[in-house]
Amino acid sequence: MQIGVYICHCGLNIGGVLDIDAIVAEAATFDGVRIARDIDFACSDAGQEEIRADIESGVDRVVVAACSPRMHQTTFERLLEDSGLNPYLLVIVNIREQCSWVHADNPALATQKAIDLVRMGVTEARELSPIPKRTIPINQDALVIGAGIAGMTAALDLADSGMKVYLIEREPTIGGRAALYGSLFPTNDCAICIIAPKMTDVLNHRNIDLYTCAEITEVEGSVGNFRVRGVKKPRFVKEDICKGCIDDCAHVCPITVPNQFDYDIGVRKAIYVPMPQSVPMIACIDEHCVGCGLCEEACPLDAIDYFQKEEEFEFDAGAIIVATGWKPFDAARKEEYGYGRHRDVITSLQLERMLNASGPTYGRAIRPSTGELAQRIAFIQCVGSRDATVGNNYCSLVCCMAAIKSAQAIKKKNPDTDISIHYIDIRACGNGYEEYYQRTQELGVDFIRGRVAEVLTHGESAVIRYEDTLADDGIIEEECDLVVLSVGIEAESEIGIDMQTGADGFMQVAHPKLRPVEAHTDGIFIAGCASGPKDIQTSIAQSSAAASRVKTLLTHDHLEIDPMSAHVDADKCIGCAICMGVCKFKNIRMVHGKAVVDELACKGCGSCSAACPEGALEPYMHTDAQILSQIRTLTKNECPLIVAFLCNWCAYACADLTGVLHISYPTNIRVIRVMCAGRVNPGFVLEAFRCGADGVLIAGCKISECHYIHGNVNAEHRMAALSGLLAGVGIDAHRLRVEWIDASESKRFVEIVSDFVDELKGIGPIGSELSI
Amino acid sequence: MSPGSEWRITMNQSNKSNISDALKDAGLEILTCLQCGTCSGSCPSGRYTGMITRKIVRKARVGKDVLHDPDLWMCTTCYTCQERCPREIKITDAILAIRTIAVHEGIMLPEHRRVSQLVLEYGHAVPINDSVKEKRESLGMEVLPETVHKYPDALADVQTLLESCGFDKLAAGSQE
Repeated sequence: MQIGVYICHCGLNIGGVLDIDAIVAEAATFDGVRIARDIDFACSDAGQEEIRADIESGVDRVVVAACSPRMHQTTFERLLEDSGLNPYLLVIVNIREQCSWVHADNPALATQKAIDLVRMGVTEARELSPIPKRTIPINQDALVIGAGIAGMTAALDLADSGMKVYLIEREPTIGGRAALYGSLFPTNDCAICIIAPKMTDVLNHRNIDLYTCAEITEVEGSVGNFRVRGVKKPRFVKEDICKGCIDDCAHVCPITVPNQFDYDIGVRKAIYVPMPQSVPMIACIDEHCVGCGLCEEACPLDAIDYFQKEEEFEFDAGAIIVATGWKPFDAARKEEYGYGRHRDVITSLQLERMLNASGPTYGRAIRPSTGELAQRIAFIQCVGSRDATVGNNYCSLVCCMAAIKSAQAIKKKNPDTDISIHYIDIRACGNGYEEYYQRTQELGVDFIRGRVAEVLTHGESAVIRYEDTLADDGIIEEECDLVVLSVGIEAESEIGIDMQTGADGFMQVAHPKLRPVEAHTDGIFIAGCASGPKDIQTSIAQSSAAASRVKTLLTHDHLEIDPMSAHVDADKCIGCAICMGVCKFKNIRMVHGKAVVDELACKGCGSCSAACPEGALEPYMHTDAQILSQIRTLTKNECPLIVAFLCNWCAYACADLTGVLHISYPTNIRVIRVMCAGRVNPGFVLEAFRCGADGVLIAGCKISECHYIHGNVNAEHRMAALSGLLAGVGIDAHRLRVEWIDASESKRFVEIVSDFVDELKGIGPIGSELSI
Repeated sequence: MSPGSEWRITMNQSNKSNISDALKDAGLEILTCLQCGTCSGSCPSGRYTGMITRKIVRKARVGKDVLHDPDLWMCTTCYTCQERCPREIKITDAILAIRTIAVHEGIMLPEHRRVSQLVLEYGHAVPINDSVKEKRESLGMEVLPETVHKYPDALADVQTLLESCGFDKLAAGSQE
């Protein structure tokens, strides 16, 4: 083993505080070190050249003591790779952010600390082994679930790039809810006019395999290699023969039922097409059919087949886009609004169908009780949204604009219609939305601030009762021809695939800002309203984003395994399955009594490794041996001596920021970087105490902000249990501290370290408890 | 447990100068009010009186002198507003709590003060009178019902209880 140690001056940033010569001299004496030298700027081309030359002359492990690994780890990994060395035979020792910048007031102790850190780094380097690049072959096809506007967009984006796409739709037609609207805000274009071309493109695309009347029943496997199973429900009409002429068969059908595609405001026959613009244009017989055989007789093509059976299908896909959309809030749940009791109380979606030129009333807003044109219309906003009494605290985001749009459409057709929109807050946030709102006001639509309390029945009429909160008119009652309930968007729950959902019922994305279309499971992406209410613009943008993420993932026919991923030593594994419970990403399963990690999907937090009672599970990087070796080289040259395990994302970043801000704190701390607080095995803590540490600090992201969702919760439980045991082995439990800290809380970090040092001074050196 | 008895208002003890804080201490959060007006629109009393429930909540929120607002006493405590509030604010409970604070501050309508004094004197808000006594007799009932009217010792107990919690002073208006 030939270790090269490089101490960076970083100009005066490090060299101005630490005694570099002393560190180099000391480093040269450590076991396995062949070369120890100082470099002005290790990250510069000249600095890198020096290291490259040494590698070419036989150095096979590199220790760079310089700035934070969060700064230049990749730079040096690349250098090693370019120089013909495995990139993971590298240790970065942080002597700038976490040493020279924070201990400038005490250069002697700072130098001593730097020597300790370099010694820990060299020891770790001795434990490194090359990590080969490993790849797994993958399937490059994609599955899109749901063929609404979001699913169609994603499928077309992928198919246009040459990828094969399986597109699954539950209904007999694609197009989703958007295809049923009359017009779209804020441009007033006819919905079907802009959506129909997309529907046709989907049907005709040679790269899209479209399944209608179909549902997914099972998805197994993981990123790159999903096995998908589903069923195709029978239409009782032969898809390859039916031409969609529909009049011949539907005309003779004796069964009339409310049409769910008109939200029950229109009717259809038991043999039907959902809407005149259905794609594919194939009839469908539903459960209301009495089997009279009239349609079979009427069909000129003999397309009817009463004996069609459900068909199962299965295929492989490398990635999945879930675009399963939403469902409307059930307006009957707001009993005070009389939906279902008073015929003239309808939902906003029923109005959409009325205002659709090919809908049940051919574009006219009529009063259902009389069939006449409605002259006085009131919109009630936030029905099933922003309402804790029905469990929906969120805003459905589109209802304000949809009501404004419908009011505008009615006013333009019949300017004398008296329309009021009753709102709590108008949310017109989007390009051109506020202007659209203003134009609607100019048309004479009255916006009344106050949530309608109830809808009463006076004689034949629906009467709304409300307070205009911006006027001083007391409680107002008004007769209306038509009351439109702007129903909210709710999560669609029956989707056939197991997804993590939030408190609002919508699917959760991996990160609300940074990863807005990725699910918690690798290889699964979410587009459209499945992850929460969205307007069409946003849904389409998201769909393209999801498609783009899928393309990035499936560009190559293989995926590389992250060296941070965990792996199992099958000889050591006793099959206790504790790790399975710890991995909230569900990336560990048991095969023949042994744990198996999905290494491709593994996020690398290391929580499983810390939980394994046999040490059978660990990441390829930051192994137990590497961490323990650092602990065992602790030099007891300061008292109290603190070993700190800091999570890479928050606590370690916070320590780095403290350096950037040059805030001093005591030198007594020796930091070991871990990817997550959950990686810290209680054994590490005990080993630290055994090796002379007076205190151990574990710090990670704040609870609920963990980079790995649950890692810090695992750590919290583990350390709480350990804390309870410490007294039993004669160690004051106060020597173990667990803190949750943001990357920005430098001041707090300094307080924690200083306070811990003071507290440990009070307790005395490790072992003083036993001498009493 | 009767409605409203879950909370306990302790304005004086908690030393809260502001009403919304005192309500919060009693488990009656009003800060999340949307001012949407569902409460007022639902209020049967508001249809016939000047009471606008939403404004009472607002006044309590901003610390205006809600305690002196006569509309505070127009609520019939039907709980419709509380049932319908989209933010699940315990509006009726809050109104009852605000009334309690008002009374403890010595703010009481003359009618209520008079009724309170009747309770102190007779143990009844509506004491029995001669015409009722006659009716009872004509119906073959005992002249006095089985209440403090019949048992002077019990009336003394009630008075002791009321005095021990300072109700006599509240009713007399000595704090005003």
